[in-house]
Amino acid sequence: MSTRFFCVPALIIFTLLSCKPKNQEIVVLPEIETTIDLTSVGMEKLSDYGFFTGPIKNLSPADGIIPYSLNAALFSDYAWKQRFVKIPQGSKVNYSADDVLGFPDGTVFIKNFYYPADFRKPQDNIRILETRLMIHEAGAWKTLPYIWNDEQTEAYLVVAGKNIEVTWTHYDGAARSIKYSVPNMNQCKGCHLRGNKVMPIGLSARQLNGDYEYGHGKKNQLVHWQDLKMIEGMPSLEQISKLVSYEDEQVSVDLRARAWMEINCAHCHRADGPAKNSGLHLLASENEPARMGVGKAPVAAGKGSGGLLYDIVPGKPDESILQFRIESVHPGIMMPELGRSVTHEEGVALVRKWITEMK
Amino acid sequence: MKYFVPLILLLVIACSGDKSEPVVWQSMEQSLQTQLITVEDGGIIELPEGNYMFTKSLAMDGKSNVKIRGKGMDKTRLSFKNQTEGAQGLLISNSHNIVLEDFSIEDAKGDNLKVTDTKGITFRRIRSVWADGPKTENGAYAIYPVLCKQVLIEECIAMGSSDAGIYVGQSDSVIIRNSKAYWNVAGIESENSRWVEIYGNEAYENTGGILIFDLPGLTQYGHTTKVYNNLVHDNNHENFAARGNIVASIPPGTGMMVLATHLLEITENKILDNKTIGIGIISYDLVAALNEGEVEQENSIGGVQTVDNNYKVDTLYNPYPYQIYVHANIFENSHWFPDTGNDIGKLFLAKSFMNPPDIAYDGIANPARPDAELCIQEGDDITLINLDAAHDFKNLTKGAKQFDCQGKKIEM
Repeated sequence: MSTRFFCVPALIIFTLLSCKPKNQEIVVLPEIETTIDLTSVGMEKLSDYGFFTGPIKNLSPADGIIPYSLNAALFSDYAWKQRFVKIPQGSKVNYSADDVLGFPDGTVFIKNFYYPADFRKPQDNIRILETRLMIHEAGAWKTLPYIWNDEQTEAYLVVAGKNIEVTWTHYDGAARSIKYSVPNMNQCKGCHLRGNKVMPIGLSARQLNGDYEYGHGKKNQLVHWQDLKMIEGMPSLEQISKLVSYEDEQVSVDLRARAWMEINCAHCHRADGPAKNSGLHLLASENEPARMGVGKAPVAAGKGSGGLLYDIVPGKPDESILQFRIESVHPGIMMPELGRSVTHEEGVALVRKWITEMK
Repeated sequence: MKYFVPLILLLVIACSGDKSEPVVWQSMEQSLQTQLITVEDGGIIELPEGNYMFTKSLAMDGKSNVKIRGKGMDKTRLSFKNQTEGAQGLLISNSHNIVLEDFSIEDAKGDNLKVTDTKGITFRRIRSVWADGPKTENGAYAIYPVLCKQVLIEECIAMGSSDAGIYVGQSDSVIIRNSKAYWNVAGIESENSRWVEIYGNEAYENTGGILIFDLPGLTQYGHTTKVYNNLVHDNNHENFAARGNIVASIPPGTGMMVLATHLLEITENKILDNKTIGIGIISYDLVAALNEGEVEQENSIGGVQTVDNNYKVDTLYNPYPYQIYVHANIFENSHWFPDTGNDIGKLFLAKSFMNPPDIAYDGIANPARPDAELCIQEGDDITLINLDAAHDFKNLTKGAKQFDCQGKKIEM
């Protein structure tokens, strides 16, 4: 009897509670997988191109596929990158002193984005997330994103982008996790547009002017290309300028910070880039302080200015819009606008030091 | 145990009401974005019936003759309530002859539907709303073609915009017709656009019903607009725009507002029960004066136009309205008092006690063009005020016939 009378009110209360209107409750069902024919866009699978031999996840290049690296690489949410280039047999790259080299039709860049499970052991337990191709066809560059399967046996063309959960152990031993964002194909233009054409970004002589370990001793990459008769019009190495690695602590803070800004900012912030209207030019070769942002007021920064008055205030990183925006992760404020969800701690510390030491 | 069954029954009955049912959303983010990228010129993207939730902006770029078609604005519903990436709901750019029809789009972080640099864009039977109603945090524009040519917006619904519901900016050859805008700060706004027709629409319960604006510092200036046969009523909603935005200066209770534009005809509209003013005709000088002291803001993420105190630097910009012809409209106002939460309302309360104006002109003349060619022919019974704002309202004049002239009719 007593149990029953206890239960009835309890059930009524439960009933009332469970029936309170649940405002704005949102239940979202997962998307049903559909196949859309992408043959007009590009090959369905990465393996279709035959870039690699052996198990594809080993990224062992087939004949004629040359690995390369850049002196200063774009920050992409701490993803590691393994890059390759394919130049068609018999074709040659045209040397350019200060811009992206001239690549012949049929050139393919293959850029693989991956995370080692533990950044302190970068060779082990690698998870490849995506491979981006840039293909030079009929004088125009085409961009194609491929996303790897969990088994790491194949990557598939996905034009709509995707968010992928990634976890790793960082350099300091701390566990990290992010939602890695593979861009959709429209977004490629966000960084790769020069004028009204899609262009590669990093493939300049001063980025390639550095050593690479080809498996039988280190060698300068440009010299290697010359030895392979892949490039023409190249002067002697001493005459070729070199962008420093921003990670090289032997080099001055000024050169390192300028290199970091060139690869992270100057694809837009240059005279012919999408951010030209800002008047802020961040190629390392820019020498005019006002064009680099020193004492420069923003043009169309909107909320991005954070209420600050100048792009760079020498000696005062916390009064500098540039520092504010590279540290932010707010979608409407952060710079660069695409390609990261977290802050590049080492990079922003470097720029902070550069502004602090600036007179 | 004899109570058990009825109790279960009670539980079931009590919980089967609509209110406790969560809305179930489907997903088609990947497949729709894929189609937007891969659709061939001349193709149709069919949006199926159902409720669909999105987490990032959709974008289509550089397409020709593409139609995106749902099953009806009550049947195909795209929501961006869970949006974490991008500002717009759907962004279309650099395209030709695009048709959007028969779907509903909701709750984007920024603008719901933005179309830029496109020649030929039709919005037909689109409902674009912030579903929880008016809030300052809502996106700026519900339907937003900008830098476009040949724009047609028809039988659409716009609701909840923290700036303007149907907003056409810096565009040419525009028709906005047979649409509804309510619970926005501005219902329908044409800004810096040329050859614009606005007719057959209902703009109600916004802060301001229909705005024809010309603002400084943009790629082009507007002219040649005809606003006719619209029903503009009860635009008395509180102003919920973010501070600093140009529409934050619109007093609640505004039927129409004409700012700094020229070659405009307003005729055969019904302008009813807008408690502060039926039609206001003002210069940018007045807006700047009203906003003095506000911290100037740059254009924000959504491209919202903010008050620009440096407008005098733009030498090509004419801040004064001229060649405006207002005639044969119907005015009714059952309200005795304007909204007094703003300077304009207070002014009307003081200067036109218990009789808010049907039409008011700020009376600030262009020194270089003293004759503004302002013509108003609305019969003898309307309340028409020339504020003489240039001289602190010293020579404020009332009189239905003070601008009685035959103005320029706009033919398209």
